[in-house]
Amino acid sequence: MKTRIKELRARYNLTQEDLAKKVGVRRETIVFLEQGKYNPSLKLAHDVAKVLKTKIEELFIFEKE
Amino acid sequence: MKANPERRDRLRLTGILILSFLLIATGTLWAFTSIRRGDIGGAISGSIIALIILIFAFFVFTRGSKDVKQGYPLEDERSKRVMEKAMALAFLATLYLLLGIGWLSEDIIKFRDVSQATGAAIGGMAILFAIFWLYFNKKEI
Repeated sequence: MKTRIKELRARYNLTQEDLAKKVGVRRETIVFLEQGKYNPSLKLAHDVAKVLKTKIEELFIFEKE
Repeated sequence: MKANPERRDRLRLTGILILSFLLIATGTLWAFTSIRRGDIGGAISGSIIALIILIFAFFVFTRGSKDVKQGYPLEDERSKRVMEKAMALAFLATLYLLLGIGWLSEDIIKFRDVSQATGAAIGGMAILFAIFWLYFNKKEI
């Protein structure tokens, strides 16, 4: 899984800490999300997409194996 | 009425601190009484349990209080998932550990009594949980 979190975070001048506080998770969770090493719940995906003013399907890119 | 998350996290940290202190005190007392009885196995088991809990509690408390102070939650969905996976695997592995202890106690390891074997199993479970927690904390989940 790939994500566009880092790209969109930079667009809105948000640090990992800022995003973590806005969605109410720990900073490590954002780090793992950006690296595509964590599959978030639908609620967290929705919250992150909302903060980054985008849609879930545009934020997370699933590659076919 | 919804509780203040920061206050809830601080209460939880205090609970962790009290529980850790009680567990460390129990492990230390167990080790001391074992030494007085001349039971080296019990002394080692008690010391290992107390030491593991001390290290784990120190790590959890210092990291947790720093995070709460900075406005992060004490736990989130990822840390909960890591904990659940580590607990589930440690439980499963402990079943095999108990089986192993049962087989080994026939000839190879001579336990004084059942409580000593139980102590070894509890210590083993604590070590397994720490290993799995570290593993899942780094792994993609």
